[in-house]
Amino acid sequence: MRSIGKHSGGAARSAGRTMLASFAAVLLAANLGAQSHQSVPDVTTLSMEDLMNMQVTSVSKRTQKVADAAAAVFVITQEDIRRSGATSIPEALRLVPGLEVARIDENKWAIASRGFNGRFDNKLLVLIDGRSVYTPLFSGVYWNVQDVMLEDIDRIEVIRGPGATLWGANAVNGVINIISKKAKDTQSGVVTAGAGSEERGSGGVRYGSKIGDTSYRAYGKYFNWGPSLYPTGMTAHDGWDAMRGGFRADWTPAGANSLTLQGDIYHSKYGETLTVPSLNAPYSSTFPNNGNYSGGNILGRWNHSSEGSSMSLQMYYDNTTIADNSLFVDHQNIFDMDFQHGFHVGDSQQFVWGLGYRSIRDRNDSSFSVSLQPNQVTLNHFSAFVQDEISLVNNRLRLTFGSKFEHNDFTGFEVQPNARLLWTLTPNQSVWTAVSRAVRTPALTEEGLRLNSAVIPPATPTNPTPFPAVVTVFGSHQFQSEDLLAYELGYRVQVTSSLSADIATFYNRYSNLRTAEPGAPFIEGSPAPTDIVIPFVASNKMSGGTYGAELFADWRVAPKWRLVGSYSYLQMNIQKNSDSLDPTPDNPNGSSPRHQWYLRSSIDLPKHFEHDTTLRFVDHLPSLSIPSYYSLDAHLGWRPVPRVEFSIGGQNLLDNQHLEFIPDFINTAPTVVKRTVYGSMTFKF
Amino acid sequence: MLRRLGILIAILGMTLNVASTADAQAGDADSSEYLIKAGFIYNFAKFVEWPSAAFSQADSPIVIGVLGTDPFGNVLDRIVEDKKIGPRGFVVRRYKWGKDLKDFKDCKILFVSASEKAHIDEILQGVKGLPILTVGETPGFAERGGVIRFTLEDNRVRFEVNVDAAHQADLNISSRLLTLAKIIPQTAATGRNPG
Repeated sequence: MRSIGKHSGGAARSAGRTMLASFAAVLLAANLGAQSHQSVPDVTTLSMEDLMNMQVTSVSKRTQKVADAAAAVFVITQEDIRRSGATSIPEALRLVPGLEVARIDENKWAIASRGFNGRFDNKLLVLIDGRSVYTPLFSGVYWNVQDVMLEDIDRIEVIRGPGATLWGANAVNGVINIISKKAKDTQSGVVTAGAGSEERGSGGVRYGSKIGDTSYRAYGKYFNWGPSLYPTGMTAHDGWDAMRGGFRADWTPAGANSLTLQGDIYHSKYGETLTVPSLNAPYSSTFPNNGNYSGGNILGRWNHSSEGSSMSLQMYYDNTTIADNSLFVDHQNIFDMDFQHGFHVGDSQQFVWGLGYRSIRDRNDSSFSVSLQPNQVTLNHFSAFVQDEISLVNNRLRLTFGSKFEHNDFTGFEVQPNARLLWTLTPNQSVWTAVSRAVRTPALTEEGLRLNSAVIPPATPTNPTPFPAVVTVFGSHQFQSEDLLAYELGYRVQVTSSLSADIATFYNRYSNLRTAEPGAPFIEGSPAPTDIVIPFVASNKMSGGTYGAELFADWRVAPKWRLVGSYSYLQMNIQKNSDSLDPTPDNPNGSSPRHQWYLRSSIDLPKHFEHDTTLRFVDHLPSLSIPSYYSLDAHLGWRPVPRVEFSIGGQNLLDNQHLEFIPDFINTAPTVVKRTVYGSMTFKF
Repeated sequence: MLRRLGILIAILGMTLNVASTADAQAGDADSSEYLIKAGFIYNFAKFVEWPSAAFSQADSPIVIGVLGTDPFGNVLDRIVEDKKIGPRGFVVRRYKWGKDLKDFKDCKILFVSASEKAHIDEILQGVKGLPILTVGETPGFAERGGVIRFTLEDNRVRFEVNVDAAHQADLNISSRLLTLAKIIPQTAATGRNPG
C-alpha cells in the first residue's frame, strides 16, 4: 500500500488514508462498545479549532495501519521519539520490534533487520524524505552521517522484510523511511539545548513561517559527544561532533499542484582507534585516528493530485565526502530522478507505476589498507515499477501485486516481483501474507575493492617464507546479486479498545550470498618490500534460510498510562555451499541476536510531568563473543507551560557498561555503552 | 544481580503508584479518531440551522442517525448525552441499510458509515430534498451530494462541505463552520464513482 511508503504518495495517498479512516471506523466499532464503563472526555467543550488541532493518537493510528498494510510495518511517532529521550536516529530505532541496533563506538552503529547485522550491513534501505541514504560504496548506511532536527520528524516508518517492488534493490530485509513534518506544521520557533555525561553538549534552533502560499522552515544544530571507554576501562578515542543546517519550503497554492524544496548541509569530525597492517615490522599498528565527513543535498518535488489520481516528480542531488584519514577518502555525487503516477481503476482497483534514474559519480583516494578500482567511476541506474491493488469481497480481501524492473551497470537487469494479500477477518482482526523476491545488487567495493586486512610476519609457523604475507580481500567483476525469496505471514488484532497486538512471521530463502573464496597466492614487488599476497575473492557461494517472528503489543492500561512490549525471535541457518572454500568462520548466523524483547511504560503524571521507562534485553552474539545484556532507560519530562519542556533521561541504568558489537572488515576498536545521564530543555516561540 | 533486581522493583513500584494516580484523573489524553469526530458532529449541530418545519415541536430533539457499521461505539451517545442546543436535546439512533430505509428519514444528522460505500448514491438519493445533514467518510461523498465529509490530514481530522447539497437540503451552514471547511463543488451525477 502506497500510504506506508514513498514520501510522494499524493492523492492516491490521501484517498488511501480516507479509506483507512473508514477501515479504522470499522475496526474501532466493536471495541468502543466495550468501553461503556469508562468515562469519555467531554469534547463538546472544545471549539472546532481545538478539535482540528487534535492529533489522532497512536492507538487509532496503529489501528489505521492495522487495516492498511500487508507487511510488517512499524511506525515511530514524533511523540515516541520525544518521550524515549533518544537524541539520534539510531537510538530512536531501538523502539522498532525486532530491529537490531548495536553501537560499535560513539559514532558507529550496526543496524539490521532480520539478521546479517554488521557495520557494513547491506540489506537495509534507508530514506530520508524520499532521498536514499545508502552508500553505493558498500550498499549500507553511514549511520553517523544521517541526522535531522529530531523535533521536525513527523514519523519513522519501518518495514521489516522486503520492500523491493516499491523501493528497489537493497530493500531486501527492510526499509526505514524517515519522514519530516510539512513546513506548514512547523510554523513556529524552537530552541533546544542539552548536556549530559556522554553527549556533552547539544543545541538546535528551528524557525518556521509563511509567505503567501509558501510555508518554510530553517534549522541549525550542533552536538558534541565525549569519548567512551575501551572494554579495559581506559578512555577511548571515539568522541565526535557534528554541525548541520537545512531548510524546507512547501508551496501549496489552491488547486491540484504543490511543490517542495528542501536541503541540508553538514560537517562532522570523529575519532576512532584504528588498526592497520603494514609490510614492515611489527606488521601492524594501532593508533588514534581522526576522520571527518561533510556534504549536502537538495531535493525538489512536484505533486499533482486530482480526485482519483496523483502524480509526483522528485529530483535530488546529494554530495557526500567521507574522509577516514589513514584509510580511505571517498567523494560521491548522486543525482536521482523519480516519477510516479497512481490512479483508481473502477471502484476497487488502485494502480501505481513509476520510473527512476540515478547517476552515481564516485571518486576515491586509497591507502595501503584500502583501495578501490577504478578510483573514479560513474554508474547509471534505471528502474521502473508497476503495482496494482485490488479490493475483493466487499473490501475484506485486498490483493496487491507488482514488480520492480531495474538495470544496473554490474549485473544488468533485475526483476523483483511481489504479491501481498490482506484479509480482514472481523472488524478488529486481520491476517496478511506475502511472497516477494528481492535482490541486493553489488556494491562498488564488491567489484573493485582491495582490502589488506592483515599481514602475517615472515618466518613464522603460519608463514615460513622470508616475505611478509598479506591477507587480502578482493572484489570481483564476477560478483553477482544476492537473492532473497521471502514468505511472510502476519496477524493483527485489536483485542479491546485499549489493547492491540501485532505478530509478523517470516521465512527467508537466500542464495548467492557473499563469501570470500581463497585464490592462488602471488608475489608482489611493489610497493617495496616484496610480499606474498594471499587473496580472498568476493564470490556468491553461501545460501540458506532464516525464520523468525516479531511480536508487538500496545496496551493503554489507563487513560494516562501506556505499556508497550515487543519480543522477537530469529533463527538463521546460513551455510556456505559445498563448493565454497571460504575458510572464515564468521558466517552471519551468530552476529544477530536470537532473542530480543523490551517493555516500555509511558505515564502522564499530574502537574504536566511525564515518565517513561524502557527495559530492553538483547541476546548474546556468539560469533562475536558479545554477551547478552539488559538495558534500562528512563526519562522524566516536565512541561510547566506548553511552550517549555524540561527533560532528564538516563540510559543503561542497570549496567556500568557493556559492549554491543565488534566491527567487521575495518578494524576499529569497539567501545562500551556506558551508564549515561542527559538533560535538555526545549523552548517554543 | 540482586542490586539490578532492586532497581527494577523500585522503578516498577514507582510506575504502579503513579499509574493509579494517573488513572484517577481522566483528562484529554484519549483523543481517538472517533472521539474527535463525535466532537465535530456536536459542533455541526451547533452551527447548522435546520428549517423550522423540520422539527415537529420547538423542543423536539436532534436525532443523529448512524447508518451501517457504527464506528463510534457508545462514544457518540456519551458525548451528546444531556447536551442541549437551545431547547433541543439529542437522540442517537442506529440504522441498517435496506431495513430502516423509512426510519432514517426522521433524523436530522445522518452519519453514513464507511460500510455503506457500495450504496452511497442510493442513500443520498433517498434523502434528497429532506432537511438532513448527511455526514460521510468515503472518498467522493461530498462530490456525490453528501453535505459533509470527514477526511484525515496529517493525523488530524478535517472536513469538506458541499454547499450546493446543503442548499438543496434547506440547511443553513454558519460561516464559522464554512471557513474551516474545504468547499467541494458537486460533480455531475453522471460522473464516475471515485474509489
